[in-house]
Amino acid sequence: MVRFGQLVIGPAGSGKSTYCSQLQKYCEDVNRTIHVVNLDPAAENFDYKLSVDMRELISIDDVAEEMKYGPNGGLVFCMEYLLDNFEWLEEQLEDFVDGDYICFDCPGQIELYTHFSVMRKMVEMLQRLDFRLCALYFVDSQFMADTAKFFGGCTTALSAMVQLQITHINVLSKMDLVRAVDRRRIDSFTHPDYDSLAAELNTQVDKKFSGLNQALAALLEEYNMVSFVPLDYNEEDAVENLLLQIDIALNYDETVDPKMPSDDEVMDPEEAL
Amino acid sequence: MSETVGARSGDEGSGPGRSPGPPACIIIGMAGSGKTTLMQQIAANLSSSRTPAYLLNLDPAVLNVPYRANIDIRDSIKYKNVMEQYRLGPNGGILTCLNLFAAQFQTVLELAEKRRNQFKYMFVDTPGQIEVFTWSASGSIITESLATTFPTCVLFVVDTVRCKSPMTFVSNMMYACSILYKTRLPLVVVFNKIDAEKHDFAVSWMEDYAVFDEVLREESTFADSLARSMAIALEEFYKNIHSVGVSAITGEGMDDLFAVIQTAAKEYDESYRPDLEARTRKRAEEEQRHAEEAYEAFQQDRDKNENRSSARNTMWAPEEDEREREDEEDQDEEELAREETEKEELLDYVAKLNIERGARPK
Repeated sequence: MVRFGQLVIGPAGSGKSTYCSQLQKYCEDVNRTIHVVNLDPAAENFDYKLSVDMRELISIDDVAEEMKYGPNGGLVFCMEYLLDNFEWLEEQLEDFVDGDYICFDCPGQIELYTHFSVMRKMVEMLQRLDFRLCALYFVDSQFMADTAKFFGGCTTALSAMVQLQITHINVLSKMDLVRAVDRRRIDSFTHPDYDSLAAELNTQVDKKFSGLNQALAALLEEYNMVSFVPLDYNEEDAVENLLLQIDIALNYDETVDPKMPSDDEVMDPEEAL
Repeated sequence: MSETVGARSGDEGSGPGRSPGPPACIIIGMAGSGKTTLMQQIAANLSSSRTPAYLLNLDPAVLNVPYRANIDIRDSIKYKNVMEQYRLGPNGGILTCLNLFAAQFQTVLELAEKRRNQFKYMFVDTPGQIEVFTWSASGSIITESLATTFPTCVLFVVDTVRCKSPMTFVSNMMYACSILYKTRLPLVVVFNKIDAEKHDFAVSWMEDYAVFDEVLREESTFADSLARSMAIALEEFYKNIHSVGVSAITGEGMDDLFAVIQTAAKEYDESYRPDLEARTRKRAEEEQRHAEEAYEAFQQDRDKNENRSSARNTMWAPEEDEREREDEEDQDEEELAREETEKEELLDYVAKLNIERGARPK
């Protein structure tokens, strides 16, 4: 049986938990079933309902007290412990039925994706359970105000993508906090023209990096995978639009979801690749 | 704040004869790459050659700092207290500590600046989890203030053993690339732990794509075209950055590291500093323009308010236009209010900080 899942990742304070609670609210409104699973052993204070919580298996507090780990070592230990006891998660997930849609709230530390192999293994194990997965990488849009920083964001996303090897959607969160001047800038990044961005970048960084600017622009253009979706909760259909993108990426079965919007949204067919 | 920073670097002038000051190195790396151990090795190395250095620890959650830090974030901010006081998890705790510290970083820098002739190097250790520093406002505040005061470079510490896997290698290099774009400072990739794994393989991968491609073919069961394309794009990156292999444990390669830092500092002076100064100036101008615009808008609003009653009567002002202007007005007010609260929050932070510092037994 095919199940669908999104992995919500991104640095601390990038808006992951807010998204989970907004998503849950939206799904309740449109009568769509969604389960939120917490995979962050260090998380606290949820303002949404959890279907499964890994802290029932192990939490960072247990580890910190008993084994004298710092926050980092503790996190890695917990994640590895979860992998070793994967049957526990498997059992918890068994309750859900065919076609259910699950949102995994993951720890944000990029190290877990690029440096350690735990998240890669987690993905493999979930895929073995017939999960179709999509990663949502959250980036605070306030840190994307210029072209150099935008390229910084793209390369960060790429470094996680190459390891996870699943469909990847980058979310520009906190758009509501961006100043009006920067907003136009950031909006242009959501439909980027990489050639002109690279040209612009040439004026912003040292000349010797113009080759790199060009090469990265070509890479981003060619794969067209590093796309950014803006998320502004002040806009009524913010969650709906994002969810639509995810559904397309996951090939989510339309028959399961009768509420599939059929408006003339611009969809990028390559998203689905 | 940017204005005062800009003014200061301007005061010192960029004339000939000006001493560029000791190089400052920000040590960034993934958790577990060995940043703190490297700091320890650097400290030991410098003290045995009697080279004075200025060391900063910015990791609030580290259990013990195995070197004598001149400035330690843990002295002024207690991680556990912050977590309890603000009811934060470990991550939010670290981030908040760094925010608190960034608010007073200018003072820290002034301390260091007074002694700039007394030390030859400055090293800054950053929090264990990389993104707390690279993807946070306080991280960039600290980086920028440092870069406008000293010739600054970034040391990106990489775990050589883990890089044996070509995927991890590409991923790490991509991340290094993102740091380059975010900080726009000279970057040195430091391959750490060469006592366990020589970094020769990494050098050959960086020098020759064909070698890397071959390994990639062997390693991955399916041809990963993304990793391959990334590696090709990264060739341009490798050409223009420095890399060096060290062992933080045995001290191997430390001389090379110091040599590379000197080169990077020179580079900073030649090409990065003018760029940075131009950027700071531009931003100060922009802020100034914003302020002027806001002031003009305010004056217009005032005039409009005065004229409104008469304008309404004469029917000359089109309603639509008026409504639009009112909208703008609202937005401006909102923005002002937000800025106001932000300012208050910051003051709050600083006040709390001072209390905490005052309460600390000397």
